[in-house]
Amino acid sequence: MFHWLEKHPFFFAVAVFLVIAFAGLIEILPNFAQASRPVIGTAPYSTLELAGRHVYIKNSCNACHSQLVRPFKSETDRYGHYSLSGEYAYDRPFLWGSKRTGPDLMRVGNYRTTDWHENHMKSPTSVVPGSIMPAYAWMFTNKADIETAYAEQLTVAQFFSVPYNKPVPMKDGSTMEVKMGADLAEANKLALEQASLIAADMKDQDVKDAVANGQIPEIVALIAYMNSLK
Amino acid sequence: MENRPLEYDYTVAKMFMLTTILTGIVGMLIGVILAFELAFPELNTILGQGLAEYTNFSRLRPLHTDAVIFGFTLSGVFATWYYVGQRVLKVSMAESGFLMFIGKLHFILYVVGVAAVIFSLLAGVTTSKEYAEFEWPIDIAIVVVWVLFGISIFGLIGIRREKSLYISVWYYIATFLGIAMLYLFNNMEIPTILGANGIGEAGFGNWWHSVSMYAGTNDALVQWWYGHNAVAFGFTVPIVAMIYYFLPKESGQAIYSYKLSLLSFWGLMFVYLWAGGHHLLFSTVPDWMQTMGSIFSIILILPSWGSAINMLLTMKGEWQQVAASPLIKFMVLGSTFYMFSTLEGPIQAIKSVNAIAHFTDWIVGHVHDGVLGWVGFMIMAALYHMSPRVFKKEIYSKSLMAAQFWIQTLGVVLYFTSMWIAGITQGMMWRAHDEFGNLAYSFIDTVTVLHPYYTIRGVGGLLYLVGFLMFAYNIYKTMTSGRRVEESELQSASPMGA
Amino acid sequence: MDIAELQAYGFFTLTALMVVVLYGYIYHLYTKKKDADGHDYEDYSNIALKDDISDTPVSAISEHKEK
Repeated sequence: MFHWLEKHPFFFAVAVFLVIAFAGLIEILPNFAQASRPVIGTAPYSTLELAGRHVYIKNSCNACHSQLVRPFKSETDRYGHYSLSGEYAYDRPFLWGSKRTGPDLMRVGNYRTTDWHENHMKSPTSVVPGSIMPAYAWMFTNKADIETAYAEQLTVAQFFSVPYNKPVPMKDGSTMEVKMGADLAEANKLALEQASLIAADMKDQDVKDAVANGQIPEIVALIAYMNSLK
Repeated sequence: MENRPLEYDYTVAKMFMLTTILTGIVGMLIGVILAFELAFPELNTILGQGLAEYTNFSRLRPLHTDAVIFGFTLSGVFATWYYVGQRVLKVSMAESGFLMFIGKLHFILYVVGVAAVIFSLLAGVTTSKEYAEFEWPIDIAIVVVWVLFGISIFGLIGIRREKSLYISVWYYIATFLGIAMLYLFNNMEIPTILGANGIGEAGFGNWWHSVSMYAGTNDALVQWWYGHNAVAFGFTVPIVAMIYYFLPKESGQAIYSYKLSLLSFWGLMFVYLWAGGHHLLFSTVPDWMQTMGSIFSIILILPSWGSAINMLLTMKGEWQQVAASPLIKFMVLGSTFYMFSTLEGPIQAIKSVNAIAHFTDWIVGHVHDGVLGWVGFMIMAALYHMSPRVFKKEIYSKSLMAAQFWIQTLGVVLYFTSMWIAGITQGMMWRAHDEFGNLAYSFIDTVTVLHPYYTIRGVGGLLYLVGFLMFAYNIYKTMTSGRRVEESELQSASPMGA
Repeated sequence: MDIAELQAYGFFTLTALMVVVLYGYIYHLYTKKKDADGHDYEDYSNIALKDDISDTPVSAISEHKEK
């Protein structure tokens, strides 16, 4: 039997495939429905936050920052409550990272402010002496891509039933609604509203002017995303 | 036709040898730049503020991993396949116009794909998933390249003269199937242009952008099932295919135990895929999967060592060859590093060790002793062995090769020792508490302490890059000015000039 | 029976089957030593060592054509 396989390349390939596919079939497939259920208090990202998430991905922030708090005292002391599966229900893709050259960012919105991020992204060492993080000056001039973020919102709402414009349960028993524009113009308007709130807390005059003129620099979107991480 | 004897045709192998060397230089150079950027952050703006976006650590980091994996390693796999495949199946590419065409098309599309990857990653177009950063248009191109590779493999097998498939061919088949399965499932994504069309407006947003089919924990699970096994089927399986051919051939010794090689093959195939869970220990994936990942990682030592010991024992009674030939040195040290990193990996997969090691530089060190010591050494050795045969020239310089060997070995040792110390230091500092139960160090303390180790690592990487440039030069001189050799000199040990 | 239980049974049976097959293979290799065509397994090492296009294959494909 064995020998026969070795001389029949097609059946040999089938046998190899079965042996290697076996692990995935048993291990991964059956867990899917269970792991993707959101926990209470987890809401989908707004258009601006999602655009900020794209900025985060575009600059591979996840190459140096994790978003996964492990259940150890040292980690919960440093970063807050350990991560729960359902908290990631709207994360496509996941951004756990595999290396902490910098600290974890899973709950950075709990202990850092817009002002802190603005200074830090402009010059990391001015806020954290000895930091080896590079400055991200171009984020203050590049414009965030709201259109792509909105296209992604429409896609996930359509294909994965992500609850935009629907009540989402919160921890205190209330509900909240994450609004998504009905068309591109409304989506831009919603993003700009949120961006104005953030720009009001910032110091950079060019960024404030841009937002006043209806443009959203990448840094504003990124800070919106950072502040949403809780 | 009748009066010209049939010969193996290495046209496609030569093309892929070229890209192996070029992408190797690019990938390793970027790696060295990254290493020094961590030690000396000013280097992030080395080309000035205007270009900072493109010389920045975070933008270059995916380019480094992908250039080395999909450039250097895959080119090496393709180059050796188009060489080894013909020889062990005893059939020449020249016998089939169709396979020749497929081989050349495979190369051309591959080069186009590599160019697309470089530009898109520099522009920041990425899905963020490690070693699967490419957006859907490039994914499709990669699938096409891979299918062509498959046609080459099975086409050549279809017209073979040798009925039984040599063990290396088994491993090449497994590489093809494994990567195909993993890549397809991990890159399931929906282009967002579809959602935008849904509300009746003309498509807006970037047309190449897509969103993963899986969310959160599921995405992580699929990604690390892929990530771990892309290492298996990119960095282990095809490299084992190489050593099973090149070491016996270069040393003239039969494999120590062919039966053991068959057994290790099936063992490796069965066990490897389960071990992906060890990337997700203490995360939010179910506990039993994490435990399974741990246990299977440890079982994985057996088939890995089965192959590695088989290789070392192949040299039984012929150890003087290791002293005499730098080419054999590369392969023997390569399989030693293979044993080393397949022992280190399972140790890191033990839960209590992983609690310290995960997220630190120890993992980076582990990857690099495997890739620099095992993958890099083996691919360079394979190319050295192939050069005299494909160019019909003597290898330009043996002493240059020997010098390269020692420089690179020193580089690898500096690399992994410094990363061990860095990783364990940082892991211990993160978890240290003072007598009142407060954290003993702020995060930045655990970063600044790493500066000397980052510097040593940079030097180690630089030495390896210098060695690689020596390798490229040696191959170039072999092509252009080596002494011509006769067929009779090519039986086993490769002819080398002083 | 829920999905987790099915998974557990599936895992156990398949793993047990794989173990039996693998050990069967080891037993087969080391007791028979030769494959069904009468070639000693160790002879296959020569596929790499004698790999010139003019060398005789260890088991040539034409020998078996008529079967």
